[in-house]
Amino acid sequence: MSDDILYSIRNLTVEYKTRGGAVRAVDNVSLDIRRGEILGLVGESGCGKSTLGKALMRLHDGPASIPAGELWFDGRNLMDLPLREMTDIRGAEIGMVFQDPMTSLNPVQRILDHLTETIHTHEPETSDKAARARAEELAERLGIRRERLKEYPHQMSGGMRQRVMISLALALRAKLVIADEPTTSLDVIVEAKFLDLLKELQKEFGLTILLITHNIGVVAEAADRVAVMYAAKMAEVGTAQDVFIDPKHPYTQGLLKSVPNIKLDSADLYKMGGQPPSLLHPPSGCRFHPRCPFVMDVCRDKEPAFEPVAGDHLASCWLYQTQVANQVVGDQEVQNG
Amino acid sequence: MAEQKSRDEISKSIRVATEGEDLVRVEELRKHFPVQAGFLASLLNRGNIPTVKAVDGVSFTIHRGEVFGLAGESGSGKSTIGRLVLRLYEPTSGHVIFDGIDLQSLSADEMRLIRSRMQIIFQDPLASLNPRMSLGQAIEHPAQIHMPELSLKDRRNRVMEIFHAVGMNPPEAFYDLFPHQISGGQRQRVVLARAMITHPELIIADEPIAMADVSVRALLLDLMMDLKKEFDLTYLFITHDLATAKYVCDRIAILYLGKLCEVGPLNEVYEHTCHPYTHALLEAVPVPDPRRRRTEPMPAGEIPNAINPPSGCHFHPRCPLAKEICSVEEPLLREIRPGHQVACHYAEELLK
Amino acid sequence: MPKTKEQLSKTIPEGTTWEVELKQVGFVRRLFMARRWYGADWWFVAISAVGVLAFIIVAIFPGLFAPFSPDALVGPSFLAPGAQVDLPVLVVPVKSSINKLADLAVPPGAARPTVAVVEGHPTAGALNEQAQKIDEVIKDQPKGLRLRPIIDRYPTLAGTLQAVINGTDMLAVVQMTEYSAVKAQFPTLREAATITGVTSTAGGFILGTNDIGQDVLSRLLWGTRIALIIGFSSSIVSLVIGVPLGLMAGFVGGTFDRLLSLLMDSLYAFPGLILAIAITAVLGPSILNIIIAISVLYIPTYYRIVRGQTLSVKEEVYIEAAKSIGARSLEILQRYIFPNVIPSVAIIFSVNVADAILTGAGLSFLGLGLPPTLADWGIDVARGQRFIQTAWWMITFPGLAIMLIVLAFTLMGEGLTEIFNPKLRDR
Repeated sequence: MSDDILYSIRNLTVEYKTRGGAVRAVDNVSLDIRRGEILGLVGESGCGKSTLGKALMRLHDGPASIPAGELWFDGRNLMDLPLREMTDIRGAEIGMVFQDPMTSLNPVQRILDHLTETIHTHEPETSDKAARARAEELAERLGIRRERLKEYPHQMSGGMRQRVMISLALALRAKLVIADEPTTSLDVIVEAKFLDLLKELQKEFGLTILLITHNIGVVAEAADRVAVMYAAKMAEVGTAQDVFIDPKHPYTQGLLKSVPNIKLDSADLYKMGGQPPSLLHPPSGCRFHPRCPFVMDVCRDKEPAFEPVAGDHLASCWLYQTQVANQVVGDQEVQNG
Repeated sequence: MAEQKSRDEISKSIRVATEGEDLVRVEELRKHFPVQAGFLASLLNRGNIPTVKAVDGVSFTIHRGEVFGLAGESGSGKSTIGRLVLRLYEPTSGHVIFDGIDLQSLSADEMRLIRSRMQIIFQDPLASLNPRMSLGQAIEHPAQIHMPELSLKDRRNRVMEIFHAVGMNPPEAFYDLFPHQISGGQRQRVVLARAMITHPELIIADEPIAMADVSVRALLLDLMMDLKKEFDLTYLFITHDLATAKYVCDRIAILYLGKLCEVGPLNEVYEHTCHPYTHALLEAVPVPDPRRRRTEPMPAGEIPNAINPPSGCHFHPRCPLAKEICSVEEPLLREIRPGHQVACHYAEELLK
Repeated sequence: MPKTKEQLSKTIPEGTTWEVELKQVGFVRRLFMARRWYGADWWFVAISAVGVLAFIIVAIFPGLFAPFSPDALVGPSFLAPGAQVDLPVLVVPVKSSINKLADLAVPPGAARPTVAVVEGHPTAGALNEQAQKIDEVIKDQPKGLRLRPIIDRYPTLAGTLQAVINGTDMLAVVQMTEYSAVKAQFPTLREAATITGVTSTAGGFILGTNDIGQDVLSRLLWGTRIALIIGFSSSIVSLVIGVPLGLMAGFVGGTFDRLLSLLMDSLYAFPGLILAIAITAVLGPSILNIIIAISVLYIPTYYRIVRGQTLSVKEEVYIEAAKSIGARSLEILQRYIFPNVIPSVAIIFSVNVADAILTGAGLSFLGLGLPPTLADWGIDVARGQRFIQTAWWMITFPGLAIMLIVLAFTLMGEGLTEIFNPKLRDR
């Protein structure tokens, strides 16, 4: 694995047991997260992005399991580790910021105690004084005034709490921060400041951030590279420029056209037909084919591979895998003709 | 001493305002919620119960046939205003005049009658539908209340028509279903249908698409605009998303901490912004284009407490243009350009 | 609006496949398919539902299942379960019209009947005892018959039987087992009833008899009726009073709510049995008064739960929506709040019946409320206390019955909680 890739996800599948059967919330997904980048993982609700985020820390509850896949984090395959070693990695090397900070923070613990306890759990040899100093310094850096450290979570606003969450991740000098919908519950100005903060932290600490969100605008504002998920599969990955200006996958194209852009004069918003598919009985072949304006015969039969279309820009769509597509079309012609 | 209004006067047989005229006029509306204090505290503070000043002196008008946007962040009071317009909350002071009728002057029964003319759709469609009522029953209920003259058959037909109008076909298949059996987008359509069945004139939409999937939002917005055309509706569109507001609103009002900052036609407000807060809001909206990332810094600080808002102009602690007068004197809403009002002492500076 | 199957399959809106399939099957199949996703709780509910149903059927038709009437004195006292009844039996000439002991009764002044017994055998004592019992009963009757047999004692069994053949005695009273051994030698004689008047109880009494000779099993089965009457009646009364009060208090709030809650909390603070005892003591013993006492006990439970649910449902957005469409308060209560509060009530009801039965048994155990002649488990348990060492079956079986019925209802209630509560279900 090359040095500039911090986390290499290979063929990851995450399964849930539900009343109706086994559901693959993440289905054979591969993704590389590069060191020091902000990677935006975007998709609609139910596409699997949150599940993917949690799986990166092997943080999943009862009915979920990882039947297949490799999680190469910093040279080690996390799937090989016993679960109790994962607790050492969580927090210390991979930090997570959740959507609703109110439920992630202990309501009866002061902010300062949150920080010092985190430090002590992972680095027990740190003295109380040193831990406190580190906590205060960090909070300051993140725009939390020293006096506010003595407060309880409910006394802080949403934006502040999110900053506390980040500081918890940074307290142990995590290499990777997974932010799962961190700004969805925030007001737009606070959201903007939070994204600024993420970008600063990226520059200053060399932090790598996986930014999971359904908000395309947020991804455009903050991410260096973008990954688009659809129905538990990876649809497209590339730099923000590539994906936004020259989207390859028809889903990405539709998505970008359906989001209002405040800087543009009011144009018609694109309406994508159909619904996100059921993961219990996904469509055959390419999962997007029932809604795709460019659907071909091969799309209904065979699932396209997730391959490079142009350099580092990858997509899973038959439009670009012309060789196979032509082959199938040729076969059809032979059959019909 | 309000005269007993006739049912016809209140119900929709008589419409006073015509297209373009004021359908709704809000005058100096205030809503202060008392803060829940302990027994002892309320004893000791007998006269001075602290209040949350959710809406603090708001005045605007909505013209018949337009989509009027009410935008703001949390604590701005936009949702509260929506409910005040419907008189779901009682105002602490101020008036809401609907089609020439002062809602405060109506008795409870009369208020109930006038509800057939104004409806509301909420943010969370699953929460706003009774889980124990079938979709058909939920939509039929307003008709049962307001159109007792309809026979059962006619009423059912009307329900079917409305199902069709919101794009849920075939209607018979949906009548007996329950909210948990359909998708989120469909639920919002059902909520729309329920609001539409009495053919109201005004619909208040409180963040109607915030909880819908991105690919479904455009569909819902288009549906709302189609219905507007078909049924002659007027919308009060409450949102925090200025990008969506741009897509649907004719006029827009920006709220901050219970007070109006800026009101005017949408393009006016967006292109000739006069209030620093509006400007910050517009800049903050994430743009789905990496080439046009925001470069301007955001105002410092956060939205303050509505129990003890800052003196003078509420925005002054965070405003880059603030001078001494801003902390002393509250700026009043004044017309700065035709049809465009702003509440800022230094609005002209921003225009330049 | 009924839909045909074709309409359904053509127009079904999207949903996961199992939901679609479920809509198309009938109720019974759905019940069985529910096994898959309710897991263990489905079994709890199924088994306890069967149990409850069984108890209900027995309560409605105890005569079908009980071999005897509950107050009939059918056997000797303290007969162990399954023990063979070796009752003394009457032996009469084949042509005799006498079939049971009571047939020997004659008007006062007429010749007393003569009965042959074996000398020194306990049958004499049993005969006397039985004759006295019957005499007590019939002497007050209008006909004025008396039963005071003259007892002739013979040294051997053969002697007694011979005396009957000779005509010296009208009948002989002998031990069944002994008679069966020599039956064949006396073809002119036949068995009549046993001394107690019942023809035969070959199998013995399955659960034994109590201190005065009543069949424990029959009393058990007949006792189901009282238990369930008390349990259901009091629960229904509590429900009918407590639920509307809770709805109103939760909906209206204010002083009304506060006063009512104060009252209910005070009631709730009483230890249940003590309150029931107090009420029964004041009202006097009768089934109706027991039901009243127990109902009062559980009204606060329904009130609290319904009030709590109403308070939380009141805050839901769909209530605000109902107000916005112009619904009246009563309509909102009926169509929006009540249907969403009801599932919790159904669950409480089940557990409540169990509790009410237990309290009822407790009351009758203490001797309060029920006339002692009724067949009731509590009374039986009280009676059996003294004989726990000698006749354990008198207290054990009624006790077990109480336990089982309470278990059945409680299990059903607990199982229903898991099934009906949608929040728990969506995990």
